[in-house]
Amino acid sequence: MTSQVWALILAHLHDRRRSLLAWGIPLGLWSAFIVLIFPSVEGALSKAVADYPPALKEAFGIGELSNVEQYLHAELLSLIVPLALGYLAVRAVSSGLSGAAESGRLDVLLSAPVSRYRVAAASFAGTAVELAIVLLLTVILTGLGSLVANANLSLSAALAGYANVWPLALLFAGLGIVATGFSLRTSVVTGAVAGVLVTMYVIDLIGRLDPDLSGIRYASVFKYYGNAIEDGIDPVAFVGVGLAAVVLAVLGAWLFGRRDLTA
Amino acid sequence: MAVIETDRLTKRYGSSRGVEDVTFSVEPAEVFGFLGPNGAGKTTTIRTLLNLLHPTAGSARIFGLDSRRESVAIRARLGNLPGDFGYGRQASGREALRLLARLRGVDGLGRAEALAERFRADLERPLGELSRGNRQKIGLILATFHSPELLILDEPTSGLDPLMQEEFLSLVAEERERGCTVFLSSHELDEVERVCDRVGIVRAGRLIAVERIHELLGKARRTATVEAAKAADLATELRGLEGVSDLEAADGKLSFKVVGDLDPVLKAIAGHHVLDMELTHPTLEEVFLTYYGGEEQ
Repeated sequence: MTSQVWALILAHLHDRRRSLLAWGIPLGLWSAFIVLIFPSVEGALSKAVADYPPALKEAFGIGELSNVEQYLHAELLSLIVPLALGYLAVRAVSSGLSGAAESGRLDVLLSAPVSRYRVAAASFAGTAVELAIVLLLTVILTGLGSLVANANLSLSAALAGYANVWPLALLFAGLGIVATGFSLRTSVVTGAVAGVLVTMYVIDLIGRLDPDLSGIRYASVFKYYGNAIEDGIDPVAFVGVGLAAVVLAVLGAWLFGRRDLTA
Repeated sequence: MAVIETDRLTKRYGSSRGVEDVTFSVEPAEVFGFLGPNGAGKTTTIRTLLNLLHPTAGSARIFGLDSRRESVAIRARLGNLPGDFGYGRQASGREALRLLARLRGVDGLGRAEALAERFRADLERPLGELSRGNRQKIGLILATFHSPELLILDEPTSGLDPLMQEEFLSLVAEERERGCTVFLSSHELDEVERVCDRVGIVRAGRLIAVERIHELLGKARRTATVEAAKAADLATELRGLEGVSDLEAADGKLSFKVVGDLDPVLKAIAGHHVLDMELTHPTLEEVFLTYYGGEEQ
């Protein structure tokens, strides 16, 4: 059993090797660029941020921009990276399920003595590894950027900031498997989950902008995302969101096991 | 014990038709053809046997195991070539084989290399760069490399050139020799006739007949054309024979349909001076006409 899942995970990573680089390198270079330019814009930024409306700063989690970690959070980790990685997670998990169904590959795999649950589990685990590699590549390139610019980026803080995206993105991978239980069209699965991703972000944003509506933030996973690059990882939120992702994946695998494999 | 046994197997897709009340069995080391036009329900039946689709009603057993609850154990013993075989664009045949071998717990690639040589299949190129026929060869190798007890092949010669079709038919015969049971779907009567022991005819989602192949052909209407020195006399004689119909005469040539035993017809013709003669093989449509009388389209 383990060897089957492991074989499927390796196949997933092999198939997605180009995607790993196509996401990890640009994201890492972007992050490195942010770190590189920080020393030259530091003073001007602090002045500009001081003039921002307090609600805007609250909404986007912008406090002071007096160090590179704060700048990295404001520029990338508060919006771009979680949205991008959430989308990548859905794409990745779909490639092994609805994408495989569309290409005919799933029929071939399921000619072998492997259960659909293992195929779904391998797709989820492969996506988890893929996301971790993309995040690690991003951290490495960001660290190199800091070295070049002498930006004094704390590598452990950067690692915490990027690692915190991992369970959040995995949650959308889990949702992707649930969506596969209802449709085997990749466009439908990615569209639906990407819609949930953006909606959750907007819900969280509205909840932060209007204190009267702060209760709606419980409907969004972004409430538990925080600012790990400055505050460190909240272990309860990290494990909780990770567990929620696993629960969704298990539910999705169950739905996937029960459905007809036809689009 | 039958290798495949279905009992009123039914699959419906909402209001649209799938297959209805399909009951048949396939014996060990038998080559069973599942014959029908496109859209008849052949692929639906196969996908239901493989648990890719769940039956609406009825049941199927393979190796005596329930096709739904014990699907994994069943699949350990079979090889399958899906209809319209695909595996994505990037992976090569060898990569697909390696993964399938690991999933099957097979050491090495079995007889894949020998099969690749036999079918002149390129295992190294990405499947997306291969023609349909060359991809189909990879699909055949994936289905057979581990020497399964049962082969399920959905339109196996689709896209293959005539030479490779011959090679495939030889392979099926060899598989039967080693004791493998083969279940293949096709809409080509010639192909089924050459390799199958029995045939199930499916149309509009229903299995309308299961016959030994020679019985099937015997029942089908064949078209005969005879050019004879005394065509009018021969025509009179032929009209009196059982199984002869639609006889037309023009310019010393007779054309007619014949069903059933050919022997009386040939003996009648042999009593005349024959200048030319042609007996065409029944087409799939003509086989269907035998069973439907042309009533259903």
